[in-house]
Amino acid sequence: MSNGTRETIGRRRYLQAAGAAAFAASLAGCSGGGGSGGDGGGSGGGTTTSGANASAGNETGTGTSIENPQTRGEYLQVANRFSHDQAPWIFLNRQYSVYGVANTVEWEARRDERIDGYAVVPSGGKETVTITQSQMDSGLDPHDHRETPTDNIVLQAYEGLLSRDAQGEIVPELASEYERIEPGRVRFRIREGPTFHSGDPLTPEDVAFSINRIVDDEVGGLVSPQSDQLAGVTGAEVVDGERAVDVTSDGINPIVFSLFASYCDVMQQSWVQSNDGPYINTHMNGTGPFRLANYQEGVQVVYERAPNYWQDPAPAAGLTIRSADESSTRVNQLLGGETDLAVNVPPQDVNRIRDSGSAGISPAPSTRVLFNAMRHDVEPFSSPEFRRAMNLAIDLDSIVENVLSGFADATGQPTLEGFSGFNPQVDPYPQNVGKAEQLVEESGQAGAQLTLHTPVGRYLKDVEIAQAVANQIDQLSNVSCSVEQREFSALAEEITTGKIEDKPPFYLIGWGNATFDASQTIVPLLASNGELTTFSSERLDSLMNEAGSLPGDQESG
Amino acid sequence: MALGRFVLKRALQGIVVVWGVVTVVFGLRFITPGNPISVIAPLDASPETRQAIARELGLNDPLYVQYLDYLLGLLQGDMGYSYISNTQASAQVFARLPATLELAVVATIVAVVISIPLGVLSATRRNEPADYGATLFSLAGISTPNFWLGIMLVLVFAVQLEIFKTSGRGPGFVSALSMLVTQGSAAGLLSWLSYITLPALALGTYFTALITRLTRSGMLDELGSAYVKAVRAKGLPETLVRYKHALRNTLVPVITVLGLQLGTLIGGAVITEAVFDWPGLGTLVITSITARDWPILQGSLVVIGVGFVLINIAVDTLYAYVNPQVVYE
Repeated sequence: MSNGTRETIGRRRYLQAAGAAAFAASLAGCSGGGGSGGDGGGSGGGTTTSGANASAGNETGTGTSIENPQTRGEYLQVANRFSHDQAPWIFLNRQYSVYGVANTVEWEARRDERIDGYAVVPSGGKETVTITQSQMDSGLDPHDHRETPTDNIVLQAYEGLLSRDAQGEIVPELASEYERIEPGRVRFRIREGPTFHSGDPLTPEDVAFSINRIVDDEVGGLVSPQSDQLAGVTGAEVVDGERAVDVTSDGINPIVFSLFASYCDVMQQSWVQSNDGPYINTHMNGTGPFRLANYQEGVQVVYERAPNYWQDPAPAAGLTIRSADESSTRVNQLLGGETDLAVNVPPQDVNRIRDSGSAGISPAPSTRVLFNAMRHDVEPFSSPEFRRAMNLAIDLDSIVENVLSGFADATGQPTLEGFSGFNPQVDPYPQNVGKAEQLVEESGQAGAQLTLHTPVGRYLKDVEIAQAVANQIDQLSNVSCSVEQREFSALAEEITTGKIEDKPPFYLIGWGNATFDASQTIVPLLASNGELTTFSSERLDSLMNEAGSLPGDQESG
Repeated sequence: MALGRFVLKRALQGIVVVWGVVTVVFGLRFITPGNPISVIAPLDASPETRQAIARELGLNDPLYVQYLDYLLGLLQGDMGYSYISNTQASAQVFARLPATLELAVVATIVAVVISIPLGVLSATRRNEPADYGATLFSLAGISTPNFWLGIMLVLVFAVQLEIFKTSGRGPGFVSALSMLVTQGSAAGLLSWLSYITLPALALGTYFTALITRLTRSGMLDELGSAYVKAVRAKGLPETLVRYKHALRNTLVPVITVLGLQLGTLIGGAVITEAVFDWPGLGTLVITSITARDWPILQGSLVVIGVGFVLINIAVDTLYAYVNPQVVYE
């Protein structure tokens, strides 16, 4: 596609979008004008502006407001502004990962919830490191799982083409360079030097095989549950005569490098092909800094420093990962000196660890956002005023402070800070009970009785957050709200049928997005055809389509 | 031969009971909310992916086919494959069984060693300070939830005093023992003790308290009965009266409770195992419930059920040795 054509389409789409925005702005206007004049100033506050609205030009902020989005990032920012104004969710908090770290090791928490044993430095003559997670792995095959605990166990021994630093920025790993060579084709140059723990050197064939094992059900004896982690990727092939692999995608796939920075561990083709599933699930053969020494399923995994690692050898000679489901058990292990790193320290135990003198706390914002979805197709949530009123009814700062002890960030848009497409000019909704009540009146939904469904124990303090939200909504004079506690898998079953009418009208859920890209939150959750959507808007769909047709920002390295 | 026929009869009954357990457990999965697919598949998986997973797990077959398949497999010792890790369920369950048995047996030994002497003491010194102390102890023991006791024991003895380990199992009894035999080193045994002492205490306390009470009241009954008066009148030394006659008769209900409790310990140490991160059946049951990993859950429950049945048969058989009045029918 030539540049000219794309621009034309871009402009046409923009015009459509602007029309929708005017509509949205008019909806927003009836509330923004009537409420407090103050809260619309500054960065847009609650409801007065939308991205392509003329009044947005008056805003102060870090950048100029986007009236005419051109780049992918700008389209995504407008989409986030639009989502804020339309309020398809009650925007809640970004979760933090809170780790307890013994004074015997040095380590910084990462944003993507991963614990890289390579980055844990034991001190004071200590040689080995022990990590306690909440759960063990679901098997050691790096392509046959979907959860963080298994990720953490697998990533000590396996590596990907790209990786991330502690802030979530993309850095090269097994690929030394990467670039887009055509809209639907990207090329990774494969590093010379890495060897598998079996002793064999890494080849481009291994890389192509690993990618195909994930995206192609016919390759590698596995229907990988990770195929949608490499969304859009159709296959990989070795470039003739070069130490490089080309990855093809369906369409331009702007987030392809982001995907490879989070997913796709490289395995050795001959090792996979000569072993069966149970063997691959209980043994490891990667290129990583640690190799498997002993595996006790469900109990612990013991690693030793891999000889001949292609970078500096790991600081720790040995690494053990174990698990304790009970958070108090993890904390006790830490304080008893039996583990060096404990995951998911609950807020009530933070001071106990800080006061112990033998360990400290290392928090990091995670990639998970909590929100209350409101189904746009049923009353009272079909009214944008009502949805905004729900956001204005709650005191998010107090939830962050009192329920989560400050280990959370308030959010005001679907995308988290630091992600591609985050709109820095959008602030969380401030609490404004008077305005909320007024909006409810205007929406014609006064007297609504809501039931907020929440999972129990799935997310940090989920029930407590839901109760706080319901209480605060219940404080409104013209809405009542109660909480219904649900077992997670029962709630998940209703949410994941693919039909909006099966979902509860109003529920709390969390969404992790390890790609650090707005599209992987907005498309599945808010686009009209998203797998989990509770919202539908032509404008948002067109903004996301536009963003999907433009290349991403971190395109080579 | 009465004993042989009795055991055979009980074994046949046991098989029916186990079959009932299997059926109920199998039926449970269809009335429990939430299905394994929504746990295995990510929230945003496509309907096609969900279908593929259902096919792979055999969840699309009619109910009776799944049930018969499972029964047939079970007869051959095959409990199916874990939905989550794809490994054999029987391997996972039997890997956990030794840890659970070890904890249950040690907790029982702790209980018996403490409770029976305490009960006897309490009964023979009725209304003296020793009796009050023992009664108070058993009241406290019965009223204390064992998860709380576990956490307190950990805080005091592991975190503060650092005498014992907070959690985990360490080497296990068998390898500790073999270390003692082959290398003559007690280090393994000491390490084993540092892991098992706290969970065994936490688990055994309720049990200790229960048996202390049972022994006390049984002893009081027996000591006041006519035959004790008779043997006393005969001039038998008090020690023999107490331990050969009264205690022996007291033990009949104690053994019943002991057996039943041992069964409960095997299946019901779930909370204690969770608190101490003890790698036994209890923690396996918990993880498999959260993950809706039915093959593992079913396998664990079947093993627990079989354990219950076996212990009951053993207890019934033991009766005769303790009390010849019991006749096998």
